[in-house]
Amino acid sequence: MNEFEWRRQLRDLRQPLSPRRDLWTSIDAALDAAERVDTAAIPARIQPGNPWRRLLTAGLAASLLLVAGTLVWQQVRAPAAPTVASSTLARWKPADPRLAGAAIELDAARMELQLAIQQAPHSAALQRLLDRTELQQTQLRQLANRAG
Amino acid sequence: MSPVATGASDTDDVRAAANGDRDAFQRLYRLHAGRIHGAVYRLAGNDHARAEDLTQDAFIRAWQKLPGFRHESAFGTWLYRLAVNVALMDIRARGADPVSTRDEAELPENGETPFCAAERDELERCIGQLPPRARAVVVLHDIEGWRHEEIAGELGMAVGTSKAQLHRARHLLRKLLGERS
Repeated sequence: MNEFEWRRQLRDLRQPLSPRRDLWTSIDAALDAAERVDTAAIPARIQPGNPWRRLLTAGLAASLLLVAGTLVWQQVRAPAAPTVASSTLARWKPADPRLAGAAIELDAARMELQLAIQQAPHSAALQRLLDRTELQQTQLRQLANRAG
Repeated sequence: MSPVATGASDTDDVRAAANGDRDAFQRLYRLHAGRIHGAVYRLAGNDHARAEDLTQDAFIRAWQKLPGFRHESAFGTWLYRLAVNVALMDIRARGADPVSTRDEAELPENGETPFCAAERDELERCIGQLPPRARAVVVLHDIEGWRHEEIAGELGMAVGTSKAQLHRARHLLRKLLGERS
C-alpha cells in the first residue's frame, strides 16, 4: 500500500459513530444531580432577581439546616466512629506539590460525587464517575509512592 | 484541525442551553453525539464502554462550561475539542506513558495479525491496539486532521516530539497490519 492510499484509508476512518445506547438519560440524570448539589452547596450562584429561585434556595437551606441539625444531634447523643470515606478524605497529602494539588482536587471531586449520589442513589453515571475518581486517587497514590 | 461538520442551526440551541434550557442541550447532544463519540471511541482504543463514559463526561462538562462559551468558534468545534481533551485526560490519568506502555517487542508478529489493510475494520482494530499515546497522535493527526502544533499543545510535548511519536506510531501500526514499512 503506497503512502497516498495509506493516508486516504486513515482519513476515511473519520466517521461519526453513534454510541451503542442512548446516553442522554444518564447525562440528564447526572446534570440533575449535579444541579441539586450546586444549588444546595453554593446558593450564592443563584440569580438574585428570581423570587421562585430565592424561595427554592431558602427551602433547600432550611432543609439542609434541619438535616445538619439532626445529624449533629445524633452525633452528640451517640458519637460514632468516623466512616472509612471521611476518615481517609483529605488526610493523605503527597510531599510533591504537583501531586498534592491533584490529591486535593480528587478529594473535592469525590466529596461532590458522594453528595450527588446521596441525592440520586440510583444514578449509574454518578457511580461510574465516583469509581473512576477513586481509581484515579489510587493511581495518584501509586505514582506518589513510586516518586518516593 | 478541521471543524466539526454541523448544521448552522445550532446557534439558537447553544444560546438557550447556555441559559439553562435542557431541551436545547438535548438537541445539541443528538446533533453532535455521533461525531464526538466517534473521535472519543478511537482515542479510547475502540473500547465501547469507556468511550461511552467519556462521551457522557464530555457532555456533562460541556453543560457546565457552556455559560462561558464565547461563540468565538463553532459550538461543534468547541465541543469536539473539549471531548478530545476529556479523552486525553483519561489517557493521562491511566498513567499512559508515551510508547512504553506497550513496546514494539510486545506487538504480534506479522503472522499473528492477518494483513487485510483494505478493510476498514481491521485498520480500526489495529489502531485500537496501539499504545495509548501513540494511538492519540495517530488518531489526532492522521484521522482527525490536527496539526502537530495542536497535538503538541494538547499533549504537553514539543512539536518535534509529536512528529517523532507519529513516525513511531505509524511504524507500529504498519507492523500490526503486517506490512513492511
